[in-house]
Amino acid sequence: MKFPLAFATGLATAIIATQALAAVSVGAPAPDFSLIDSNGKTQTLSQYRGKMVVLEWNNPGCPFVHKHYASGNIPKQQAAAMADGVVWLTINSGAPGKQGYLDGAGAKAFVAQYHASPSAYLFDGDGKVGHLYGAKTTPHMYVIDGGGTLRYMGGIDSIASTDEDDLAKATQFVPQALAELKSGKPVSIATSTPYGCGVKYGP
Amino acid sequence: MQARARFSGQLFAMPKIVAFSSSLLLAAIALPGAAPLAAETAADHLSIELVSEAKTLVPGTTAWLGLRIRHEQNWHTYWINPGDSGLPTRVAWTLPPGFSAGEIAWPAPKRFAVDTLANFGYDGDLLLPVSLAVPADATPGTTAHIAAQAKWLVCHEECVPGKAALALDLPIAVPAEPTAHADKFVAARQAQPENGVWKADARIVGDQIEVRVRGADLGDGKGLDAFAEQAKIVANAKPTVSLRGGVPVLLFAKSDYFTAAPASFDLVLSRPHVRAIRVHATFASPDRVSSSSDSPERDASDRDAHRFRSDNVSSNPTSASP
Repeated sequence: MKFPLAFATGLATAIIATQALAAVSVGAPAPDFSLIDSNGKTQTLSQYRGKMVVLEWNNPGCPFVHKHYASGNIPKQQAAAMADGVVWLTINSGAPGKQGYLDGAGAKAFVAQYHASPSAYLFDGDGKVGHLYGAKTTPHMYVIDGGGTLRYMGGIDSIASTDEDDLAKATQFVPQALAELKSGKPVSIATSTPYGCGVKYGP
Repeated sequence: MQARARFSGQLFAMPKIVAFSSSLLLAAIALPGAAPLAAETAADHLSIELVSEAKTLVPGTTAWLGLRIRHEQNWHTYWINPGDSGLPTRVAWTLPPGFSAGEIAWPAPKRFAVDTLANFGYDGDLLLPVSLAVPADATPGTTAHIAAQAKWLVCHEECVPGKAALALDLPIAVPAEPTAHADKFVAARQAQPENGVWKADARIVGDQIEVRVRGADLGDGKGLDAFAEQAKIVANAKPTVSLRGGVPVLLFAKSDYFTAAPASFDLVLSRPHVRAIRVHATFASPDRVSSSSDSPERDASDRDAHRFRSDNVSSNPTSASP
């Protein structure tokens, strides 16, 4: 009987979320969600079960996001992940009227401008999924393994700055986690403090 | 400096990362003899200037320099721990041989809340003091050229990164006379948390971290706020505060990014109209965390403590101030 257990877990998660925004933790199941993408299609996390999934919180107006797109850092990570069969979901939890809020056409233009290749660009305008995951910054990264377990959450890399010059010296946590998972190793750095702009949630 | 690119809304706008001022160059051309050379640099949403407490530097002493940052209304920059987002202001020095600069002596921060996110930093007219060790063999009659590269992130709801090259020429001479900025250094010292003999014990209680402060007079705890200097230990939301047998007890949510208890961490405790204090909190050893040395009664009072926000301090009999 899996149902009561799943229900209990969901309840516990909801309680934690209201207290401390800490809805998810590494080693625990990543909660499922359903969001509309830039093509108007519904995407769920559970549809990708069996594949590794990267979640990336995005706000195209944020200078930290700009650093990792204009430098090619995120697009490069996306291309490498894609080549390895990893699913990359970019999520925008910006509320309508807030900085970085996009519609479908805007998201497609953003992706095209930076030659980015997310599997999907998802809209979370009411912030439900962002709050569910405790997403605080843009970028804010999560790595989920094929079994649906969260394996990494935190910053995109090890040097909190808006300077592209820092990229060469920084450890990129997502490619590192993906490579370790792929070779069956435990993720050596499973959490880091996220850095960036605050997610522009609505009221 | 009128062409100010902003990130807001402009999806594909190129960022204006650099906020260099040409005023520095102009000042260098219009060399004002022996007078200290300084320039206020205008950047996006703030102006920044390198200032000195004294007009001269005395050999073999510690002088105080500072980054004076004047924020546009509603905009703020960040403390050493910026909170849920943001970046601390940083400065890199280029100094004459034998001189050395200390770390920023951070004033106690303010809390800035946006939605559910908490940030720690400063607004208004800010001075970030930095000590400067002047070597004993510095030659009176010469001038020390002090250069600093400052970097910051300034935010309202949106954020703009900035940096500036700042400089100050200070004569080596005795005695040191105060500059027009000296009063700001006095105020900045007062705004820094007082380092005292206070200690605190930290322990993990489920998803929370409890900190008991010893030896500090925190009054009835009203309006008390606490800021951890290190990230990844406590969440950035305001802690709940109660008095237990007259001892202030702060209950924080554990950071989402907590991995293991460090041996110790530092907290700045602030209250309105009173100088902030800095306490060094030591974690109970891991086996003490789960030991049975705490009575069930203690656990019950833990739950009680959690109900009281810091702005609504418990007035039940066990929490009364002595």
